[in-house]
Amino acid sequence: MTYEPTIIAFLCNWCSYTGADLAGTSRMKYASNINIIRVMCSGRIEPMFVLSAFREGADGVLICGCHPGDCHYHEGNYKCLRRFHLLQKYLTQMGLNEERMRLEWISASEGKQFAELADDFTEKIRSLGPCKLKETAETLT
Amino acid sequence: MEEIRIGVYICWCGTNIAKMVDVEDVARELSEMPDVVIAKDYKYMCSDPGQDLIIKDIKKHNLNRIVVSACSPRIHELTFRRTLENAGLNPYMFQMANIREQVSWVHDDRIKATKKAKALVAAAINRIKWHESLDKRTVSINPSTLVIGGGIAGITAALELADTGSQVFLVEKERKLGGNMAKIDLTFPYLNSAQQIINEKIDRIEHHPNIRIFRNTVIDEIFGYIGNFNSTIGQNGTEAELKFGNIIVATGLKSFDPSGIKNYGYGKLPDVITSLEFEQMLLNGKILTKEGKEPANVAIIHCVGSRNSDEHEYCSRTCCMSALKYANQLRSAIPEVNIYQAYADMRAFGKGCEELYCSTSRKDVMFLMFDQQKDLPVIMEAKADDSCKMVIEMNEKLSGERIEIPADLVILMVGLEAQDDAKELARSVGISMCGNSFFMEKHPKLDPVATTTSGVYVVGNCQAPKEIPDAISQAKAATARIMATIKQGEVEVEVITAEVNEDICCGCKTCIQVCPYTAITFDENNSVSVVNEAICKGCGTCGSACPTGAIRSRHFTDNQILSQIKGLMSKSLELNEL
Ligand SMILES: Cc1cc2nc3c(=O)[nH]c(=O)nc-3n(C[C@H](O)[C@H](O)[C@H](O)COP(=O)(O)OP(=O)(O)OC[C@H]3O[C@@H](n4cnc5c(N)ncnc54)[C@H](O)[C@@H]3O)c2cc1C
Ligand code: SF4
Ligand code: SF4
Ligand code: SF4
Ligand code: FES
Repeated sequence: MTYEPTIIAFLCNWCSYTGADLAGTSRMKYASNINIIRVMCSGRIEPMFVLSAFREGADGVLICGCHPGDCHYHEGNYKCLRRFHLLQKYLTQMGLNEERMRLEWISASEGKQFAELADDFTEKIRSLGPCKLKETAETLT
Repeated sequence: MEEIRIGVYICWCGTNIAKMVDVEDVARELSEMPDVVIAKDYKYMCSDPGQDLIIKDIKKHNLNRIVVSACSPRIHELTFRRTLENAGLNPYMFQMANIREQVSWVHDDRIKATKKAKALVAAAINRIKWHESLDKRTVSINPSTLVIGGGIAGITAALELADTGSQVFLVEKERKLGGNMAKIDLTFPYLNSAQQIINEKIDRIEHHPNIRIFRNTVIDEIFGYIGNFNSTIGQNGTEAELKFGNIIVATGLKSFDPSGIKNYGYGKLPDVITSLEFEQMLLNGKILTKEGKEPANVAIIHCVGSRNSDEHEYCSRTCCMSALKYANQLRSAIPEVNIYQAYADMRAFGKGCEELYCSTSRKDVMFLMFDQQKDLPVIMEAKADDSCKMVIEMNEKLSGERIEIPADLVILMVGLEAQDDAKELARSVGISMCGNSFFMEKHPKLDPVATTTSGVYVVGNCQAPKEIPDAISQAKAATARIMATIKQGEVEVEVITAEVNEDICCGCKTCIQVCPYTAITFDENNSVSVVNEAICKGCGTCGSACPTGAIRSRHFTDNQILSQIKGLMSKSLELNEL
């Protein structure tokens, strides 16, 4: 059987989740490996959420928020961006390839961009192969 | 703790979901999850029988949590929350799994789509165990309304509201009121006078006791939330502090500037003018070339700046009919003039419009078709011995011939596009824009005048190009919505605010620094942070920044999201292994 990665995507309610919905209403097709979890703002996405996704066995984590300047709460996405950079370093230290996590801005009208991103990221994760974090953590404990 | 009893409902959405997701299989499999009392699939969950099914089950099986797996929560979350309320449950004991917009409509492999649907529903089931009852929060509504933009849409909305006795603040960027309608002579399809209609309305608005007009004014920043907005407006060196409960955005669109299309020579050839400039001629009562002569040949070119990937892909919707209007006006002003309509496709939908097309084509008007995508006509100066001033070369699509049209006056039917400051305005009122820079409505079909920001409405052209009757209908629709909230005196607002656990808070003030709304203050006596719930908008930023975990983001708590992740992953991995 071919390897099918599991990807968790955290999307902010106002722009990105609406953009993903638009991909649906426009009947665009993308990889079914992307599983979306909605948060009100990308600023709500805690490092713990991302780490927990990997810990539970996700092969990739996608984070989407409104474009800079467009956050429904003014600047949640800047906070998210700052945290993202710290998290990238942390993942590398944990031995994870930092490319397993991606941050992109998707506006409410960018259904097409979301569908393309979903496919592109899925292919990236597929090429990286399964993430071993869950197994490693389980053997250690 | 009370026993958790979950009801799970998988919607077919007719065939929308059922054709790509095996809904029965999803229901069967998830009925086996712990704490799930029943799991059912049904044709249309949002229909009355669908909602009744939930209500009956809640009563019969003593359910205390409901998961509906259907369309996007952005469409029906509120519907189902109300269903729960009708059954006597707290509306927040509800979670949706989006298996239409984010599964059946975007995937084309039924097995994979069904698998993903199962994982998303499992995530919702796992999350809902951590849901808790939240109390409704209502805020009072300030009965004043801010209307931004004084075109026909803004004026109509202002009058409508003011006539019910409410205060209206109308802010107009220009000195003159009336927008585009004040710049046109007659209106299609019945050729009524635009001036007569708009001037009567401007006159009423200027003398209305409940309307305060701010001319030459733009809005800088708006604070607050539905029912309780405020803004400081600067005008003539003085500042006014305005308070209002709702906002109507009616900033319209501006005409496309055709200088960039080199085929048309606008700005270089003196007798190539825009439709808006032709309206001015009509208003002045004289159709003349720059040399002061009556034109013998007039060409009207459609779709300038519209329906072309180099400019705007959309149709500006009003120009085809305006072009026909001009043909009629030209025919009556200069009976013997030759009129040429160079069009791409004739769009004559709407009441009275096809009729206008038919009657105009009987008035000796030449209709010539060109390819708007690949082959625009070219306007050139005529040779000295030609009897006309200009010649338009084009490949006529229907005959397949290359032709030359003589012209003394060329009218470019310029499209409509976003105002230059549209983006800044969207930011200051907190609304989104679509790809073509029109303001985005809450839902294109179900909620076309509201926006995703409660208390903010978009009407008229700023939402998309449209003719005057549609702009007026939208204005009236928005005012009806606002009047309903004013009448009730209060509205329900989201309860998903943040909360500080004082026992855990270490007083580091990190949350105060990150909150975009200064909703958090510091209680010096107890050395802890306190959230002001009336100001908090529930973005959750403070919750993710707090180092001690003292902040709970209601309805998006750590436990809720972490269990959602866990539920999703374990189902997904379990199914992968099969
Ligand atoms: C040449 C031409 C001919 C037309 N002919 C017809 C016709 O015959 N029949 C018909 O039905 N329709 C016609 N239309 C379309 C018609 O003009 C529009 O449907 C109508 O004007 C839309 O009204 P509106 O109030 O939404 O926008 P507008 O008329 O565009 O008014 C918007 C107002 O908002 C103001 N504004 C913009 N930004 C701000 C800001 N940031 N702050 C404050 N104020 C702001 C503007 O100055 C303007 O006064 C024609 C359009 C054009 C261009
Ligand atoms: S209304 Fe007619 S002229 Fe205007 S953009 Fe649409 S098709 Fe072109
Ligand atoms: S960030 Fe957390 S610990 Fe620090 S003051 Fe705010 S609530 Fe207290
Ligand atoms: S949730 Fe957002 S708005 Fe509310 S207090 Fe926290 S940071 Fe401020
Ligand atoms: S609301 Fe989209 S990033 Fe803040």
